[in-house]
Amino acid sequence: MRILIVDDSRSMRLILKRMLAEMGHSDVAEAEDGSVALSQMASFKPELALVDWNMPVMNGLEFVSAIRESREYDKVKVMMVTSESSPRLVYEALKAGADEYAMKPITRDVIEEKFMLLGLS
Amino acid sequence: MNTGEFDDVMAEFITESRENLDDLDNALVTLEQQPDPGVIAKIFRAVHTIKGTSGFLGLRTLESVTHIGENLLSKMRDGDLPVTQANTTALLGMADAVRQILDIVETTGAEGDETYGPLIEELSRLNAGEATPARRGRAKQQADASVTTLKPRRVTVTLPARRAAGTDAVPDDPPRMGEQLIDRGLITEVELDEVLLRQREGDPRHVGEILVEKESVKPSDVVDVLKTQAEERPQTNESIRVDVGLLDDLMNLVGELVLARNQILQYNGSVFDPSFSATSQRLNLITSELQEGVMKTRMQPIDNVWNKFPRIVRDLSLSCGKTARLEMEGRQTEVDKTLLEAIKDPLTHLIRNAIDHGLEMPEVRMATGKPAEGTVRLSAYHEGGQVIIEIADDGAGIDANVIRRKAVQKGLLTAEEAAARPDRDIVNVIFQPGFSTAEKVSNISGRGVGMDVVKTNIEAIGGTVDVQTVVGRGTTFKVKIPLTLAIIPALIVRAGGERYAIPQVSLIELLRLDGESAVTGIESVQGAPVHRLRGKLLPLVFLNDVFGTPPTKSDDAVNIVVVQSDDTQFGLVVDDISDTAEIVVKPLGRLLKGAAGFSGATIMGDGRVALILDLLGVSQLAGVSNSSAARAQAEANASRNHDLAAERESILIVGIGDRRFALPLAHVTRLEELPVAGVRQGGDHRVVHYRDQILPLVSLADRLDIDARPEDEQNLQVLVCGSGERCVGLIVDSVFDIVDERLEYSDRTETYGVMGTTVIGGEVTDVLDIRAFVAHDILVAAEAAA
Repeated sequence: MRILIVDDSRSMRLILKRMLAEMGHSDVAEAEDGSVALSQMASFKPELALVDWNMPVMNGLEFVSAIRESREYDKVKVMMVTSESSPRLVYEALKAGADEYAMKPITRDVIEEKFMLLGLS
Repeated sequence: MNTGEFDDVMAEFITESRENLDDLDNALVTLEQQPDPGVIAKIFRAVHTIKGTSGFLGLRTLESVTHIGENLLSKMRDGDLPVTQANTTALLGMADAVRQILDIVETTGAEGDETYGPLIEELSRLNAGEATPARRGRAKQQADASVTTLKPRRVTVTLPARRAAGTDAVPDDPPRMGEQLIDRGLITEVELDEVLLRQREGDPRHVGEILVEKESVKPSDVVDVLKTQAEERPQTNESIRVDVGLLDDLMNLVGELVLARNQILQYNGSVFDPSFSATSQRLNLITSELQEGVMKTRMQPIDNVWNKFPRIVRDLSLSCGKTARLEMEGRQTEVDKTLLEAIKDPLTHLIRNAIDHGLEMPEVRMATGKPAEGTVRLSAYHEGGQVIIEIADDGAGIDANVIRRKAVQKGLLTAEEAAARPDRDIVNVIFQPGFSTAEKVSNISGRGVGMDVVKTNIEAIGGTVDVQTVVGRGTTFKVKIPLTLAIIPALIVRAGGERYAIPQVSLIELLRLDGESAVTGIESVQGAPVHRLRGKLLPLVFLNDVFGTPPTKSDDAVNIVVVQSDDTQFGLVVDDISDTAEIVVKPLGRLLKGAAGFSGATIMGDGRVALILDLLGVSQLAGVSNSSAARAQAEANASRNHDLAAERESILIVGIGDRRFALPLAHVTRLEELPVAGVRQGGDHRVVHYRDQILPLVSLADRLDIDARPEDEQNLQVLVCGSGERCVGLIVDSVFDIVDERLEYSDRTETYGVMGTTVIGGEVTDVLDIRAFVAHDILVAAEAAA
């Protein structure tokens, strides 16, 4: 499965990449903000995007709205991975088109559970 | 995750967080100057990122410190709390705490015991919107005072465009949201201005969000623009991280390649083979390009050091009660990484000095018609294969007379030396060991590190530092450093059949004395060879004499390389000047390490070794570096025994006929060499036109009834006593020396004009009774002046 990690923190991307690798997912690309992620959508064709909220240039919510605008990326699953925890923000993200919402610090168990909920292997 | 991987993540986290913190400091300082929602959002993100990741890594203290800071920031972002100096000070304190925790984590692997209770309390109080109660610490009190008295001490940091055009591979950001919407004809400029105004008034939302809410544009328009921006934004994964050790290895290899290239070029000169010649030319070009390329990989923008300065300037000016603006120009100027690290401390020290000693208090500035806010200006640029860094303040400048007084007081110079050195030159005394102009040692600049250490550190990397100052206008320090240490441009000279390399930084000019002037151009003063260069005496050092090699000269011409070492200029006389070359600096072998006069070695094109001259060492070997520095050192040592030093004075030793005479230097205003041709008979005195005055001359030989034996038939050696209209010139045959001695003598002599006899420097010397030749009022005036 091709997974795109969208987070402005290098160490955060590294942590997520390691967790995914342990779960057997090595086809992973990284982007440091929403606009970089957007420019990678067409070439990398991810099946899942793990998206942080607070990022410079284009934040996670704007990124989700942008890809949901387009028919092309309908099938791409989006999971917010963020430390923003207020119910209002969770609601906003889901309304904008996110499929799942996970709170940092996230563990491997949580990722596996969320993957199941999303119907991913 | 296993431990190794965890360590990787931790290392990455520490590196990344430190980068974020550097930006954070500057952003907070900028914010204080001008509240800007964009800047708050940036700071918030940085803190938020650290908090988020520290949770993953189990760093609880770090998480709690950043968590409370994040809360405060989010309130400032949402406009619930204002941006005050108390808030920014506390957030800067948080940044410091985070730094500290990261340092501890890096060395010990855990967070340590510190819980940062007071900081967390302070942040919580500010979170609740409470004003800070009076607290310990000078800086804090001042910070608080400035909030309550509504007279904020403003610290402005002006950061010009981040990168100069064309200096960097990273292109500028794509057009912004507002501009693009105007370009598409969806909004007007007036509409955009309204939105920007709202942002300035504290609306934290993006331009697009506000416009959508005002229903000026459709959400899909905004998303369109965001997509375009995304497409225009370059792929940023074009850089990789490389171990510095690898770059060092590469640099060494390129150095070896340069040597091999030089050898091949040399060989090419001795054979005639067109195809070999073409190939070696190609090798030459490729090597040069490779050398440049590898050097570039080691280059970093000077901003990597400078970005620490806005915070330093802010904190420092707050704690001194001054207001300061830091301007930076040429932030993208690139410097070799090793050199960058080496100049970090000296530059920091110069910045601290500029604020602490350079800038005046705001009241003083206003009183002299300057803006209350002082300016410290940093600029960096490349010039002639060197990097120039200037640190300029618009403060009080350095008063030459204050320096003179201090230098004499500290025993660095004698009163005569201090008086004789021109204003422009005397400021350089601040670089001498043991000098500090601060009336009291403040805890800011006076950390036991003086300007001499700054100078030593800069010179250690082959650089120089100069100071220029105008009283009332400010002081500028100019630091010059080489682009790189490994390969330097040098002049190759020959002496005694050997070749030597002289680093180009030390070169002033080359002189060649031909035919007649090869003989007349070298004069002797006190037995030392000198050359008269544009009216100034240039001490000469014969390289063959220094190293005890026989001269091997092809003609009679004299080749002089004028060089600068420390603050001494001298002429190095060599057999031949061959060429300039890029040389690869190699350290000296173990056996030569202790040899004075050499700083390293290099391999020439023909495979032979040339030694690189250490000019300071050469000048010491030849004894020309005595001048002020060595004497200052001797005096500094002497002044430890204060009682003894107090009785010493500077004694001038002169020769008349075959006798030596001593007199206190304090009686003499100047030593002059005046042409015999200019002497006229005026009344019963001989006179000479001197400094727009008529100077009466007295021949001491005549008055003491000694047969004069002038060393120089063309010129008179004259001791000028007094000044202005009341002055007289005493003619002697020669001036031998100036020594610091206790003038003790036996006074059994009855001879006219002689007070007694003593032994100075192992030779019998008569003590001149100057009162016999010079009117009393002139002596009194001279002594008062000294």
